[in-house]
Amino acid sequence: MNTYAVILGMALATYATRALGIFLFSRRLPPVVERLLSHIPAAVFAALAAPPLLAPEGTFAPGLPAVAAIPAAAVAWRTRQVFPTILVGLGSYWLLKWVVG
Amino acid sequence: MAVVPLVPGVAVFGLVYGVLARQAGLSLAATTLMSLLVFAGAAQFTAISMWAQTSGPLIVLTSLMINLRHLLMGASMAPHLRRQPARWKAMLAFGLVDESYALAISRYLRGEGSREFFLGVNVAVYGSWVLGGLTGGVLGGLVLNPARWGIDLVFPLTFLGLLVPLLTRPVTGAVAAASAIVAVVTAAWLPGKGNLVLAILLGSGIGTLLESR
Repeated sequence: MNTYAVILGMALATYATRALGIFLFSRRLPPVVERLLSHIPAAVFAALAAPPLLAPEGTFAPGLPAVAAIPAAAVAWRTRQVFPTILVGLGSYWLLKWVVG
Repeated sequence: MAVVPLVPGVAVFGLVYGVLARQAGLSLAATTLMSLLVFAGAAQFTAISMWAQTSGPLIVLTSLMINLRHLLMGASMAPHLRRQPARWKAMLAFGLVDESYALAISRYLRGEGSREFFLGVNVAVYGSWVLGGLTGGVLGGLVLNPARWGIDLVFPLTFLGLLVPLLTRPVTGAVAAASAIVAVVTAAWLPGKGNLVLAILLGSGIGTLLESR
């Protein structure tokens, strides 16, 4: 699939999700569907965060990235912001690498 | 303006996207065009993290799944836009991202909201996202070996930073734990990031079941 076709497809998919909610406001979804949709973001973020941190080579083998994620998660909890989380996570990883050698 | 504190954060987030997109093999034009047309942080980060080893349709499907939350945000925004003409709804829908939604809906809930405020927030967030991405895209070619410095960890750390603030209820913790476990355990035998699709479906399904009791 061509690069620009993928980008156009992403754009249409993204815009569709944003416009549908606004335009179909009167149509109520069954509560069970709304509940399912409401859990998708947390499921997505967990599915994306866990493998590189806990299984960098494809199988479960937590190493320095997993350890560095602990202070990063604490900062995420306190600040509720992405950027300080990245800074502390990378900083911890560099420090650990420097200490371990 | 309420959006000012968000602008540097969005621009830096956009810059990181631009750098990583170039390292994932996208041209400067494709990197910038994606920010201009898609305008979705998590979906764009995910797309470029999947770029080299995943088929195009799966990337588009993943964008759809990641952005399904905007469908609910749009639905909750809809009553406040009920009297606006369709062209305003269509325009505001393009800029409905987490940050702009949060600012705009809080204004509406205080009874101080307006389409002009929502549009202003959208334009500020969009502008800083696109310009940050363009800057990162230009710089991206200059960074030689990102993995050596752990820059690739920016991906999981970003998603960790998005996830942790959501963990305010036990059911969300169960969703995240189930999804993380499924994603890790099935990574080895579900190639092409199919493990993510399974993890997202099972994780959100478990959350729905727990809440249905």
